[in-house]
Amino acid sequence: MVALSLPAAAAVAVFGSLYGAAARGFLGVPLTLASSLLVYSGALQFAVVALLGAGATTLPLLLTAGVLNLRHLVLGAALRSRFASGPLRRALLAFFLVDETFGFAIAAGNAAEPRAVGAATERTLLYSGLTLYVAWLVGTVVGVLGGGLAAVEHLAGAIFPVLFIGLASLAVTRRSHVVRALAAALLTAAVALLLPDLRMLAPVVAGVVVALPGGDR
Amino acid sequence: MSPLVLVAIALITYGSRAAAVVLLPRPNPRFETILSRLPAPIFASLATATLLGDGGALVGGPTLAAAAGALLLSPTRSLLLCLIGGATGYAAAAWLG
Repeated sequence: MVALSLPAAAAVAVFGSLYGAAARGFLGVPLTLASSLLVYSGALQFAVVALLGAGATTLPLLLTAGVLNLRHLVLGAALRSRFASGPLRRALLAFFLVDETFGFAIAAGNAAEPRAVGAATERTLLYSGLTLYVAWLVGTVVGVLGGGLAAVEHLAGAIFPVLFIGLASLAVTRRSHVVRALAAALLTAAVALLLPDLRMLAPVVAGVVVALPGGDR
Repeated sequence: MSPLVLVAIALITYGSRAAAVVLLPRPNPRFETILSRLPAPIFASLATATLLGDGGALVGGPTLAAAAGALLLSPTRSLLLCLIGGATGYAAAAWLG
């Protein structure tokens, strides 16, 4: 599973370079590098740069961080029961919780023997998290140095839907999961069309909405 | 933006990641059942979100073809095959387009 995170890491590096190139003008080199080092969230970091470009002050920046990060609560809750270790190790692993590593960790846990779910989930979250973190940092440095990888942006952008479709297929263990996945996809598309400002939150909101009702078949 | 604001954003981000992972007690069976239903819809939603740009417009042809290639091979429940399907779809659309 960690080896399969390499295409995602390549795509993350490309977007890191785009972030580094875009953020340098607003944050300066030290803060751009520090932001990738400390925050490690592409969606939020791009949003911060866009807000700074629009002249935003501190409060909108912090509110945006709060809203965009709400999805981590749901991802963390979905992973919580799979962890076998104590709070200190979980606190370390939490830093690496992003959409992609969540997917790899869930898939690794699903593929493991029942007794090894915790170890497989935690190991995958750590290794895929480190892989993507390093890729994000390297990409940011490349972008800051002026070596943007914009030429392959479209190719990199194509990796994410493919990755998430593959992870969805791995996460389906019942027929009802397929129905819920299709419903969530439709709901996300509807939110993107009707409430474009909530587009970033739509995936997790849709996931929760379709997970609640009914039983499992 | 000051370094202090950056640190605050980093703390908010880490706090949101750690809150459920560290502080949430092990869920009861009923809650765990609901949580077990979350991954597939979330991944399907994330895939959909990455296929839609600003205003809900669809992304470019090669990316759609890559998604279609992955979707075609998704019944195999193999991430590797989905990646291969995606690469094939992307290459075919780029070559044709």
